Amino acid sequence: MASIRRRSVLAGAVGLMAAPLAARAQAAKPRLTVISQWSAGSDGAAITALGKKFEERGGVWQHSPVPGFTTDMMNKLRAQIIAGDPPACSQLKGPEIAAWSKIAPTVNLDAIVAAAGYEKVVAPDLARLHKPGGKWSALPLQVYRTNTLFLSKRAMDKAKADKIPTTWAQFNELAEKMKAAGVAHPVANGGTRADDGQKFEAVLAGLNPAVYRKAIMELDEKALGGPEVRAAFAQLRKIADWMDPNTAAQHFSVFLPRFVAGEMGMLIQGGWAQGVLLNGGFKLDDFIIAPGPTENGKPVFVLNADAFIFWQSKQADLQAGQKLMAELVMMPENQTMYSQITGSIPVRTDVDLSGAGWSAGQVEAARTLKEAVAVNQSVLSLAHNMAQENGMTAAMIDVLTEFVKNKAITPDQAVKRLVEAVASAR
Amino acid sequence: MLDRTAPDTMPAWGRLLAHVVVWALGLAFLVPFIVVVLNSLRTAQEIAQTSMIGWPESWAFPNYAEAWSQFCVAQNCTGLQPFMWNSAAVTIPATIVSTLLGAVAGYAISLWRFRGDTWIFGLVVLGIFLPQQVRLIPWTFVLRDIGLINTLAGLVLIHTIQGLSFTTLFCRNYYLSIPQDLMKAARIDGAGFFRTFFRIVLPLSPPILIVTVIWQFTHIWNEFLYGVTFTTGSQQPVTAALIGLNAAIADVPQYGVQSAAVVLAALPTLLVYLFGGKYFLRGLTAGAVK
Amino acid sequence: MRRAPELLVIWGPLLLAAAHIVVFTAWTVWISFTASTLMPVSEFVGLRNYSSVLATRNWKIAFDNLIVFGGGFVAFTMFTGLLLAILIDQRIRGENVLRSIFLYPMAVSFVVTGVVWSWLLNPGMGVQKLVNDLGWAGFRFDWITDREMAIWTIVLAGVWQAAGFAMALLLAGLRSVEPDLIKAAQIDGAGPLRMYTRVILPTLWPIMVAVLVILLQMAITTFDLVRALTGGGPGIATQLPALVVYDFMFQRGQIGRGAAAAVLMFLTLLGVLLPHALFKYARRRRAADA
Repeated sequence: MASIRRRSVLAGAVGLMAAPLAARAQAAKPRLTVISQWSAGSDGAAITALGKKFEERGGVWQHSPVPGFTTDMMNKLRAQIIAGDPPACSQLKGPEIAAWSKIAPTVNLDAIVAAAGYEKVVAPDLARLHKPGGKWSALPLQVYRTNTLFLSKRAMDKAKADKIPTTWAQFNELAEKMKAAGVAHPVANGGTRADDGQKFEAVLAGLNPAVYRKAIMELDEKALGGPEVRAAFAQLRKIADWMDPNTAAQHFSVFLPRFVAGEMGMLIQGGWAQGVLLNGGFKLDDFIIAPGPTENGKPVFVLNADAFIFWQSKQADLQAGQKLMAELVMMPENQTMYSQITGSIPVRTDVDLSGAGWSAGQVEAARTLKEAVAVNQSVLSLAHNMAQENGMTAAMIDVLTEFVKNKAITPDQAVKRLVEAVASAR
Repeated sequence: MLDRTAPDTMPAWGRLLAHVVVWALGLAFLVPFIVVVLNSLRTAQEIAQTSMIGWPESWAFPNYAEAWSQFCVAQNCTGLQPFMWNSAAVTIPATIVSTLLGAVAGYAISLWRFRGDTWIFGLVVLGIFLPQQVRLIPWTFVLRDIGLINTLAGLVLIHTIQGLSFTTLFCRNYYLSIPQDLMKAARIDGAGFFRTFFRIVLPLSPPILIVTVIWQFTHIWNEFLYGVTFTTGSQQPVTAALIGLNAAIADVPQYGVQSAAVVLAALPTLLVYLFGGKYFLRGLTAGAVK
Repeated sequence: MRRAPELLVIWGPLLLAAAHIVVFTAWTVWISFTASTLMPVSEFVGLRNYSSVLATRNWKIAFDNLIVFGGGFVAFTMFTGLLLAILIDQRIRGENVLRSIFLYPMAVSFVVTGVVWSWLLNPGMGVQKLVNDLGWAGFRFDWITDREMAIWTIVLAGVWQAAGFAMALLLAGLRSVEPDLIKAAQIDGAGPLRMYTRVILPTLWPIMVAVLVILLQMAITTFDLVRALTGGGPGIATQLPALVVYDFMFQRGQIGRGAAAAVLMFLTLLGVLLPHALFKYARRRRAADA
């Protein structure tokens, strides 16, 4: 067991000084070993396409997808690190990037990022996550908005509504109208933990993004226990009451047929839901996409992004591969390609989305991102592990999902529990 | 040893009731499987548009072909086939070795007896309560130190050693019901440890060996955690490929092809039951206990 | 007289199995006292992990659930398994088919059948909907959405998965009963009930104990079942210790706390097994002294 101590001390020390890529990386043929969980679906297709781009530039692409939940991929990563053989790059996101970079040495990408002038075109909150210790070690790949509102055309028709709600008050009004018009369940969300977390963050960020930032992202105790959070819980309770009580732990896609048919009215989901609807055989005119409601009239963007972290390697070909990969990931054309396949929006705020291949939803989301960043109302998603490390996120989502599923918990109790959960998970 | 213990004096209505109850339960037990099979013949679109449980509208037999040889895990569009071979390469050796070693150990502990047998038995059996999760990281260190990370041999090692806890338990408790007279008779005849095992104990073992093989085969075949963590890429077992069809929050679940894949992946274990079942019924040499 | 090859074959595998159990358990206990998060480290933090885990609602709920689920699962599975074994033993026709029907739940990976169960038990999609559609509008079967009753859905699915295996082991045991004993009892004029209680059940006892131990093990290490069926929900109402261990160790990246939860699980288990072991030991001592 002494080897563990030695190893961890060493890793800790080295991790503090991520080493820059060696110059001899220029000469070797680039190769890249990649671990991700993107083995299927549109994510799988996108990463494969990126791999092709890598190969077109003369590189050897070695992607080992780890099927399963993200946790399984992290277990694999951990096993590889313990074995002394981390992949050249692996999928990682949010604050986990900072946490994992303390375990094993990462590559310092500052030079490459500066050369591409990349930092200027990335949302500051997002950039910060990928620069643990002030040095770029990871690069974001794509951005999703989690507070997107989807409305069922047929449900809107039933309720004889034509105005898209832009505030939570209007949302509530519309829900009541739908209910009165015979839409059995005005909210069509699913019952998973992430889903419950999403609903809360959409509400809180929409009600008051500044408080969201203080409470959820900075874990300020006063903000966490404050009236805005309480109001968010109250609104969440309304939303929960408008959901089908039989959601249990079902994925939201289970309810899409009823959503499209007008038995359920609205969906608070990430931008990916568009892809899910289309892949399920539904049509673009079955639903309307809108930004999530916000109270102060200015756009709010709750951000979720995937990224790759680059692990230090002594092998020259892997170093060359990492350099190539970093360059590819920062290029606007590749970000365009990636996002068009998955339905996300590019990380770069300077990509022109007016061409073909972009849906109206994506165009609108990208525009909202830019505007939200300009007024400092782009925040990080809690439910998708962007705002906090996994441990803290899980503790907070425990409270949120309990609140959604247990009508007996009042908003005051929920606030108290949230504060306690944060305190004990620190 | 008998084919059945029930006395012949059972009233006709009793037998009828027994039939009804058993078959009714049987039908209830089959329901989940029926749902999976039906889903394997529906298209993902149909499932997405109607409901998770339903009768196929159009019979999507191509789901099976796609599941077997076409669906893609990242760039590799080979379907389930290569992963099935990987699983077999791990499951068959691990099952055979752990069952045999367990039989010998169970025999040694219950019939042959030796000093410390109860203690070591208790210790080994206690191991079944050790949850998978806490073993994952220690195994990582062990496999790294003996150089077997990312090999199928590493998985075989893990499953064999872990399997010993179960196989020893099953066999030892079964062998307890073998009368000591047989052992005494063998000893008088001058038979040693191995001769007694092969001549007397093994022929009496088929029922428990079948049960043990079934347990080991299914648990190793269906195991996911170690399979995913300690192998990579095209080496992975079939459970990993199946999970690849599961939905992340951002995708349409491919329930049609996934159900077909589930059925295909379950075939080996189902076959083990069918084959083992016949052997089970045949029972043992009737003359052994004279 | 013991000879070398014999000793090696007896002790070799058993020692390996025992060694891995002891070492891994010791490692887990050690780690539970360290500040390990994403990677195991050796910074000692005393009981901090334990107080942290014990303070979470997850652990409290998981512990309560373990009692309910453990008791319910073991009792109902044993009962169903015994019932099925006895029924099938009554010279029921179609034994092969029936045995396969009851055994297959263990063949198919629970990761997938768990999802199917979540549909079947969902009031809007499964059994309740079917019965409602068939005309009985007031029928309710919504345990899975009910925070108090959800744990019983896990019992239900668990019994479905394990009853067949219990049946197989018990059937093997039933068929290993000595025919002489049966004949003697029949000559004595014993009816079926006396036959079972006086002759068969006593012989069956070691196998029943093995089944009990296996069921206890399944109850304690239940993981895939819960994850697939309820995800630990509604909310966190169906958390179980194995899930909490996995959650802390891997999902939350808090290995130290996960290990502490695992040790708490072991202690709970010891609390169940120790009295039993002491009781057996005391009984044996009394029998030896007599």
